[in-house]
Order: sequence, then structure tokens, then C-alpha cells
Amino acid sequence: MCAFSSTAAILQAMLPPPPRGAQLKPTRPVLPREFVAVRKRRRIMDAMAQLSAEQGYEATKIADIVRFAGVARKTLYDNFDGKEEVFLAAFDAAVDELAGEVEAACARAEGGPVDRIAAGLRALLAFVATNPATARMCVIEAMSATPTASARYDEALQRFVALLRRNAPERTGLPETIEESLVGGVAWILHQQIRRGEAEQAQALTPQLLDFLLSPYQGVGKSD
Amino acid sequence: MERLPRGRHGLSPEFVARNQRERLIAALTETLYEVGYQRTTVSLIGQKAGVSKSDFYKHFQSKDECFFVAYEVAVERIRDEVTAACDTHAEADWSPRVRDGIAALLRFLAADPALASISLVEGLRAGHGVYDRYQAAIDSFVPCLRQGAPPAPGGDPVPAATDEAVIGGIASLLGRRVLAGEAERIDQLLPELLEFALTPYLGAVEARRIISAG
Repeated sequence: MCAFSSTAAILQAMLPPPPRGAQLKPTRPVLPREFVAVRKRRRIMDAMAQLSAEQGYEATKIADIVRFAGVARKTLYDNFDGKEEVFLAAFDAAVDELAGEVEAACARAEGGPVDRIAAGLRALLAFVATNPATARMCVIEAMSATPTASARYDEALQRFVALLRRNAPERTGLPETIEESLVGGVAWILHQQIRRGEAEQAQALTPQLLDFLLSPYQGVGKSD
Repeated sequence: MERLPRGRHGLSPEFVARNQRERLIAALTETLYEVGYQRTTVSLIGQKAGVSKSDFYKHFQSKDECFFVAYEVAVERIRDEVTAACDTHAEADWSPRVRDGIAALLRFLAADPALASISLVEGLRAGHGVYDRYQAAIDSFVPCLRQGAPPAPGGDPVPAATDEAVIGGIASLLGRRVLAGEAERIDQLLPELLEFALTPYLGAVEARRIISAG
């Protein structure tokens, strides 16, 4: 999920050529300061995702994070109040990215609600399979890291509930809570898959989860 | 839970100890519901149970240990209730079994929000070490659903992931309601959760027919 090293290369290539004579004195790559700051912030968040997935939130110390991210302790504290804030920022960024991908996949899908839901589910599972550490942070660690984190986890679930609702068939007299139950069920299956250490194989769940997700919407009259 | 009389009461030490332990478990469950896991302390639990701090440590090494025991006790009580309700029907009567199981679950939780909270919310939020227990607890309800389950509408057996997704989905929805402070009204969710649970097995049309037939 972190494509910044290549982005950095692109950005560097786009910079104007150094002025004549500049080569005389080798300098550090010229990157805008803001860009460096954003990138460091991002590295800290990525380190948190990676470490909390490996060893759990509780065991992850600030010292581990700065070492893993290759930033100074001061940089971390310039950017974040502390460990919890790093975690919450990393979680929010990951959920934004994931929800964005699922939403985009739903929007791109041609056909009806079934195709949209299928496309959204595939995007979700593809994200989990390609970003196992981030997925672990979002689905497992966030639940219990801190009380604020678990509240954010619930907000994130709600986001997917709304997403499913928007893409589902017109209300067909199904229970109000159906999307909440469905999203909770999918989250639980992912939870187990990730805990088993099989996040990379998440896409194998596609047919089963699709049947499960679609079952309430199929065969229900278009009335109401 | 009532305290025992003070002074000479002729009760055996084993009885007193067991009673204390049960009071501590009940007190932890209540305290957790009132102030959350982080702010639950051994002193608060002791106060509520009417058990001294030093007596607390005769029963449990730590708040965590007391929590784990309380959690297991809560899950077991719920499971007993659900299983008993399911078992009033023969295995072949799958949908009445599921209906009565879910109804018993919701009734039991609505009547005891603290129990609902420890089993569905705090159990997950108390940090590591609880995951395995939560997972085992959720899994332990899967057989209630799987036993005698019909094949999917297409004729193929319903995949195991579906049983788990249904149970996990119910737990998730209930947890969210408990977190929102709506535990007492959880039993109103019966028709909705029943429809959610039956649909993957029977199809939406048949599930709704059964529910509207009562």
C-alpha cells in the first residue's frame, strides 16, 4: 500500500534539472520539505501497521516504531501526541484507503446491485490479500487496542454498512438491520482468516462470502 | 448477589469461599458494565461484592484472571440457555430450533445487560488473551445453527463459512447495540435476526414466509 519510494523517484524525475555547476557539490536529493514531512509521517504510520500486526498493539513501543520507520523520536512526537495517535492515524488512513477502493470498485461495476456488491467484495478481499499487515491492524488490533480505537472500529464498520446499503437493491422490506448483520458476518470471517495467518488467501473466500452477502437480496419481490 | 450474614453462621468454609467467588464474578461483570474494562479495579470489584481486597486475591491473582473466569461463566450461561431452547425441538425441526435459540439468546441478554456487555463487548476490548476466548465462544454457538441445517436453496450444502458468518454477524450486531446502550431492547431484534439467520439456508422468500407465519 505504500508506493512512496516509487512516487519519490517520479517526483524527483519531474523536478527541474539542477542549475549548471550544481553537480560540483553533491547534495542530498532535492525533495520539497513538505513532501519529506508527509513521507516521514507515512513511514511512521506504516511502521505502526506492520509492528502492531506482528506483535500486537500493546507490545509495540515508540522505540520500535521509530527504529522501524527510520525516523528520529523527535520526528514522531512532532507529528503525533504518542502511540495511540499514531495507531489511530494509521487506522484511519488504512480504512480510508480500503473504503475508497471498495467504493470505487462498486462504482465501476457494470450491471445491477449484484454486480456492484460482488465487485465491492472482490476489492475488499484483494485489499486484505495484498496488505495482510494493514488488514490485521484494521480487523483485529483496532478492536481492542484502546477504547478510542474500538470506537473507530465501529465507525469503520458503519461506513461499510452504509456502503452496502447504497449499493444493495432498493429496499425490499428486508430488516433494517440486515446490512449491519451482513457486514458484521463478513468482518468476522475475515477476522478468522487473518488470525489463522491466511490473509493472503482471502480471495479464496469470494464464492462463499458472495453467497452469504447476496442471499437476503435474492428472490425477494421488487414490491414495497 | 446477597452477602452472607456476619459472625457465627455455621456455614462451611467451602460454602463461604464459593459464595465469595461467585459474588466477585458477579461484581466484576457489573463493574465492567458500569465503568468499562480500563477503569474496573480490584477495589471497585471488592466494594461491590462486599469482599475485602485481600480476600479477592485468595480467589484470583489479578483483575485479568477474575475477568477471564467471569467471561467464561457468562458465555457458558448464555450457551446453556440457548442450547436448552434449541433442544426443545427435534433436530429435524431446524427453523423452530433456530428461532427458539435466537429468542432465548435475546431474552437472556436483554434481561441482563451486564452479561450482554461482558460477553459481546468487553470480552473483545479487554485486550489480548481474550481473543482466543471470544473466538472459542463464538464458535461454540456454530453447532446450534449447523445441527440439522438444510442444504442451501440450490441443493448444495451450505458452506461452513456461512454458519460462522451468521453467528459472527449476530454477535456483531448485538455487540453494537449493547455498546450503544440499547441492551434492554435487544429482544426486539428477533424477527430481523431470525430472517438474517434463516435466509442463507432457506432463501429469502421461504425465510420470510416462516417469519410472518410466526
